[in-house]
Amino acid sequence: MDEVFKALADASRRALLDRLHARNGQTLTELCDGLAMTRQAVTKHLAILEAANLVTTRRHGREKLHFLNPVPIHQIGERWIRKFERAKLTALGDLKKRLEDSDD
Amino acid sequence: MTEPGRAVDISRFKPETVYTIYIAATPEKVWQALTSAEFSRQYFFGFAVEADLRAGGAFIVRAPDGSEHINGEVVVCEPPQRLTITWDVNWPGLVAALGRTLVTYEIEPAGDAVRLTMTEAHERPLSDDILSGGRQGWPAILSSLKSLLETGQPLAIKMAPPARMLSAMKALGIGMP
Repeated sequence: MDEVFKALADASRRALLDRLHARNGQTLTELCDGLAMTRQAVTKHLAILEAANLVTTRRHGREKLHFLNPVPIHQIGERWIRKFERAKLTALGDLKKRLEDSDD
Repeated sequence: MTEPGRAVDISRFKPETVYTIYIAATPEKVWQALTSAEFSRQYFFGFAVEADLRAGGAFIVRAPDGSEHINGEVVVCEPPQRLTITWDVNWPGLVAALGRTLVTYEIEPAGDAVRLTMTEAHERPLSDDILSGGRQGWPAILSSLKSLLETGQPLAIKMAPPARMLSAMKALGIGMP
């Protein structure tokens, strides 16, 4: 779990996860497109995310595709969120989103 | 290419959702949990897996009411490392509207634990609305499987029906039970 928190404690890595959340299964080239990071920096961040099990890769033909793996985040949620709190938290999250029109 | 004796051409299916989880168990135990009703009922919202574990064998996922939710086929069976099955939900018009679905489980040793990867692959490009159902369900199913194998207790996860997926399917004219 330490690795998950360390991997998430970096804005560039969270930005990469956001990109996969918006569109899952991207190649390295697609992930780099439009980012102010070098390809080498993206590769390094992806390796850290993969080591933390937040990103998984699969080959499809000649392409290596990157996938957001939310399972460790789900486990963090299960550890600290009690069953009866989930509906309230979802409602609060929805309210915040509606008021701010953004969930950053 | 279709390998000899294999009815489904795996290379035509593109991975859309891939989840990985580490489980402190043996590969054999994870394989058993993925392929037997006794285990699956506990971590898979009461659904029973009934598998004829050979290529071409039947792979049925039975709903708690006894109906066949998925009437699939084993495509690749390499115990205890790799299992690929067709994963088409038995709703009227679903395959015609969405194309076919494959699920692959890969089990790799990782130190004293195993790394289990679930890949959901599709024959056709699908919208995030359609994919949202699996993306809601799989993390809970895999976390519960891990808990069951490590502690003997599945997770009690109450989950609302996947409303976003169901309304997208309804819009495509797919029948619902």
